[in-house]
Amino acid sequence: MAEREMAYRLFAREFNDSQFQISPGADQSGEQDLHSPNFLVTRAGAKVNRLFIAGVVTEVEDIGNQKGGEKELWRARISDPTGTFTVYSGNYQPEASVFLSTVEVPSYVTVVGKVRSYEPGDGSVFVSLRPEEINIADENVRNRWVVETARLTLDRLDIFEDVLSSDMSETEIIEYLSGEGTPSYIKEGICLAMDYYHTDMAYLKNLREDVRNALLTIDTGLSSEDGSQSDAESLILELLEQTNEGKGVEYALLVKEAGLKDVSAEEVDSAIRSLLSRGHVYEPKVGFLRIVA
Amino acid sequence: MDEVTAPHVEELSRALGNEYKEEIKAELEKLLNFKVPLEEAKRTVINKFMLSSPSAVHVKDLVAGMSGFEITGRIIGIEEKKVVVKNEHRTIFSGSLGDSTGICSFTCWDDMSLEAGDVVRIKNAYVRMWNNRTELYFGKRSVVEKLPDDYLPDSEIPALSGPKKLKDISSVDVLASSVVVIVEMYHRDVSLKGRVQTIVEGVMADETGKLPFTSWIPLTGIDIGSFISFENAAVRVFRGIPSINFNQGTTVEPVEEPYELPFTFDSASKPPEALPAARILDNSGMFDIMLVGDIISVRPGSGMIERCPVCNRVTQKSNCRAHGQVECISDMRMKLILDDGTGSVHVMLNSELSEAIYGKSMYEAEKMVIDSISRDVVFEDMRRKLTGKYIAVRGNSSRNEFGVTVVAKSAWYPDYDLKEKVGSLIERIDRKVTANG
Repeated sequence: MAEREMAYRLFAREFNDSQFQISPGADQSGEQDLHSPNFLVTRAGAKVNRLFIAGVVTEVEDIGNQKGGEKELWRARISDPTGTFTVYSGNYQPEASVFLSTVEVPSYVTVVGKVRSYEPGDGSVFVSLRPEEINIADENVRNRWVVETARLTLDRLDIFEDVLSSDMSETEIIEYLSGEGTPSYIKEGICLAMDYYHTDMAYLKNLREDVRNALLTIDTGLSSEDGSQSDAESLILELLEQTNEGKGVEYALLVKEAGLKDVSAEEVDSAIRSLLSRGHVYEPKVGFLRIVA
Repeated sequence: MDEVTAPHVEELSRALGNEYKEEIKAELEKLLNFKVPLEEAKRTVINKFMLSSPSAVHVKDLVAGMSGFEITGRIIGIEEKKVVVKNEHRTIFSGSLGDSTGICSFTCWDDMSLEAGDVVRIKNAYVRMWNNRTELYFGKRSVVEKLPDDYLPDSEIPALSGPKKLKDISSVDVLASSVVVIVEMYHRDVSLKGRVQTIVEGVMADETGKLPFTSWIPLTGIDIGSFISFENAAVRVFRGIPSINFNQGTTVEPVEEPYELPFTFDSASKPPEALPAARILDNSGMFDIMLVGDIISVRPGSGMIERCPVCNRVTQKSNCRAHGQVECISDMRMKLILDDGTGSVHVMLNSELSEAIYGKSMYEAEKMVIDSISRDVVFEDMRRKLTGKYIAVRGNSSRNEFGVTVVAKSAWYPDYDLKEKVGSLIERIDRKVTANG
């Protein structure tokens, strides 16, 4: 009996950058083991079969009943501070489909899902999740998920960077990673990522910066880096709350309204961008903004 | 003879990784004495050692189901036992064998005139589970070869070399010695072969961990808070967790100067620190551990269930597997999958802990069942309420065919200092960035 695959914590940015899929039967042995799981290897060395994510569901679309497609199919976009996860739920996920068909957008959710990838044939790879569990969450759950995901991602990045910055040969690296202190679930992914992506320091550094930005989006009650901005932010939130209906409020309208209160277009722009990245507001449609309930 | 065979022995030994030189020489000479042609003799020797050398294993690597391997060790103890196998009286020999990696118990089906202290190489042995632990078996079909005494000195068998810390006592140990403090203790009457005997059970601890113990001998003057040093206690294994057993062969003595030990009663008896799931998954069983993680699934079988009043088994439609149609007792429980991003562990919560985590009493849950005429309503409600929630549990872990299960002794919603954690992680990143320039 195979043991349960663990649920990785990954930010959307790292997940969506992945292209390397390991499927059962892909090895040369020719013996297809239908029960062995699919894996996706990320550039930063996570070998993932299952994910646990917490974020804001910003869009749900009914794409069922299309020609040649599944009868019932829902596509949802769930955003974290670094990007957006795509979740597909079909006939075989009846509970998740019911959930998605009735969920209020936007709202905080948690999803446990299996990794899927689709290659249209032009060299690109689309990754998505097939939900096993999906549930309503709140801001606390999302914040804690961001912190835990950051911690686990940093643990992996630290080991990966240590390996890359050393002058070890391939066998030395494998030996180093097999040593004590490196959990086995990290070791294998790093070796696979180096082999396939030739991941460099620049990518890891970049990802570390994304992790840092993700952490900064959490409202811990500490004063933000630029204190004067919070006034503009609260003004925007106030304006959005007053007109929180339908498709949201047009960007230009917000600039105009804010201008009446002596807030410059520039300030409005940076405030909106900050609110977007923190998940307080979202764009239901390009150029329109709506507050996250 | 030596001059003739020496270069060939050298060559064979090199081919076999510079090992078994003595044995190769003996084997080759034996064949040559039988007038086997040299080339054929060399081929035979190669075959013989090629087969055995890659499958030589150590005690710590023994896993149930292995067979046809070779193992070298010292017989630590051996005794004759009379057993009945298929209505036939037989004499078997059981004891323990140790090497540089540990000690295991063994059963030998035939009289090989082995004695305690012998160093032996056993070829074609096999391993089965017996009394929850792996046991080495060998008999007529195995080749047992006695080796010179200095091949494996006692000092190279770590399991024999003095006291151990509790965290280092594992299911491969047969005997253990250590210095500990008693943190829990109670007396219990058990009937053994028709006779009632009072035994002592409890928990012992040092600075590395805790283990359960049972004493079959009276422990005079020893109570909770006593510091003791014990030697040659038997290690038994239950659900992958070692337990320490004091018996006739064990010496237990109070420690004269406990303040010189690296732990005190308070430091040793405090609750365990949270462990990553990956660490728990690495072990076949662990005593008194704590795990914090997200509930990524509430499994079927959670919610309101019914149990047989006789055997406590879970019943299906008032039908017990052992007792047929019965008047059932209602119970509530939860089976969760807890995952902290390093691994997934099954967690079982009894009715009391389920009430605490679920936030509804069993009475309320029963009312829900009556109102909706369906038992599933509680399970569905638990899923909605708990999936994605962050909880902490404390209890014992053990491995079974589905992975590792923690049977919780306590469960709660832990505090999470978001501000502090965000601050320290950002600091960690900035330190790294500065260090890298």
